Amino acid sequence: MTVLNMPRAAAGATPPRRRRGRIIATRLGGGLAVLLPIVLISTFITYSLGALSNSDPAATILGQDAATPAAVARLNHSMGLDRPLIVQYWSWLTQALHGNLGRSYFTQIPVAQSIAQRLPVDLSIALLAVLLAIVIGGTAGTVAAVRRGGWFDRGVTVVCSAASTLPAFVVGIILVVLFAMTVHWLPANGYVGPSTSVPQWLAHIILPSLALSLAVSADIARQLRTSLVDVLERNYIVGARVRGLPYRRILFRHALRNAAGPALTILGNDFPLMLAGAVAAEAVFSLPGLGQLLLESAQTRDIPVVQGLLLVISCFVIVVNLIVNVTLNGLYRTSDGIGT
Amino acid sequence: MSSGAVQAAAGRPARGRRSLIGPRSVLRLPSARVAIAVLIGIGILTVFGATLAPQNPLTINANALFQGPSSHHLLGTDYLGRDVLSRLMAGTRLSVLTALEAVGIGLVLGTVPGVATVFLGRWFDFTANRVTDALMTLPSIFFAVAVTAALGNGLVQAMVPIGILLAPFFFRVTRAATLEHARAQYVEAAELLGASKLHVVRVHVLRKVLPTIAVTTASMTAAALLSVSFLTFLGIGVQPPAPTWGGVLSSDLDYLAQAPWAPFIPGALIAVTVGALNALADAFRDRSGAGTLLLTAPAAVTPETLERVDDDRRSQPAA
Repeated sequence: MTVLNMPRAAAGATPPRRRRGRIIATRLGGGLAVLLPIVLISTFITYSLGALSNSDPAATILGQDAATPAAVARLNHSMGLDRPLIVQYWSWLTQALHGNLGRSYFTQIPVAQSIAQRLPVDLSIALLAVLLAIVIGGTAGTVAAVRRGGWFDRGVTVVCSAASTLPAFVVGIILVVLFAMTVHWLPANGYVGPSTSVPQWLAHIILPSLALSLAVSADIARQLRTSLVDVLERNYIVGARVRGLPYRRILFRHALRNAAGPALTILGNDFPLMLAGAVAAEAVFSLPGLGQLLLESAQTRDIPVVQGLLLVISCFVIVVNLIVNVTLNGLYRTSDGIGT
Repeated sequence: MSSGAVQAAAGRPARGRRSLIGPRSVLRLPSARVAIAVLIGIGILTVFGATLAPQNPLTINANALFQGPSSHHLLGTDYLGRDVLSRLMAGTRLSVLTALEAVGIGLVLGTVPGVATVFLGRWFDFTANRVTDALMTLPSIFFAVAVTAALGNGLVQAMVPIGILLAPFFFRVTRAATLEHARAQYVEAAELLGASKLHVVRVHVLRKVLPTIAVTTASMTAAALLSVSFLTFLGIGVQPPAPTWGGVLSSDLDYLAQAPWAPFIPGALIAVTVGALNALADAFRDRSGAGTLLLTAPAAVTPETLERVDDDRRSQPAA
């Protein structure tokens, strides 16, 4: 690691871009190496879930009359269901790497296709929710930390405690009642793709995203407040103030940068929670997303769809965590350089 | 500190000191008192809810649809004219018991390996950590719904995966707390005096780790309760006429145009219960400094983030 002398680091001097890129690339590689076994374990759990089910897919597909033992055995063989679990898993995984998640037992539609069709809905809600959570939670946490002990700080604490106990589906319903039923500003349900009409798209996803982001915003605000209060009392902040740097610059370039880490970690942690919230938002706002697909296929015991969905969702969580970790490493700065 | 260490090593822990993190000092906080009062109420509803309910939660009354709160129906009626208060009271048992089922599973699956990993060597620790990381990438609700697809539609089945996915949180917190105490000087002293590993775990570690586990249990119960209400809201695991908190909410959603205020009642019930559990966890955490890891534990995986969590832990006030 390079040793930067304090004044330069405090003045926000960046080390050469290439060095930073190399550090991030190393971290990314290391992260991926750690993640690989995790991906393998979680996908195996996902896959064996379907195999564990005592449902007999061949019999279900054939229907009661045609399900003679011979026919069932033949279909099982042609679907590869008579092979050992680990062999089935391996061929499923290699196929999945090629983008082939199998076909639905009932509709014969490729699983990858129905997931790709519904993914944009959840992606829009989740991305907008993350954005809202960062803006709302970040602002509230920062202001609360800067004016700690004041009325805003106390207000934020109370609101955060309340907000983090309200589940997303309850928040969603409250929002529907307020904005769609009472003042009729926004549509209560449905989805319009951004390719059709961007304003319509925004109008349809803003309430679900807001419902999703509220609990996460509260978590971020709380965490950011705590770590920012801590950072603002550190010596290097005092040092920067003594040198007469403007407060705004100290806050944004020195304090927030080092305080944002735990809040970002929270964001990564809360991501699975947000996915659950997305299912809730889909249910409340009748959006045609992955959660609805999961519920439908769970009811009909359409195992390939369920397996494919779980795979896609876990990959999402893993990728988000990887991004959070890489961002964290790029964000942290000490007198020793970045990423330590 | 040093006298305490000697006493502890001699196998006579200073009893007076344990009250430092005992339940009595937690009760001094007003928020904890309110929370415990709420939880006692919920506990009574869990045991006696169905018998205490003023009316039959399943009785349909076509003459009293979507009524607001009145003396006859304290919380109004739903789309079939059923008494909402009675439905919520009768629905408490299923919601609370299945939440406790999940927490119980998570508690056992998480804390036992969490304590064990410190004493079973690096290989076990590594494996347990990787499995934990993998489990944390599975979103619980998705997983629960998927399990009902595989094992059949039932709330008891659906809560097993929720419990399994709560285990990583118990594991992380317990492991970190155990690690902290197992490396303490007094444990070293006890080992030098010839104490067995089992004795160290039982006498020195477990007792210190218990407050942390208590905090985690409270917040995980809150999480499990949310999951139950959400699953029943989605219609997983219960047949329609049977009342549940989430089920009441879900039927209210379908008739928002007729009764826009209706969802607030089950929503508030869920929020108050979850809030009470979280407040209790917070009170315990404030009093004992336990379970602080929960706030900062990363869902992944790199050594750096783990180091940072350790640092965060160290920077927390001890008591």
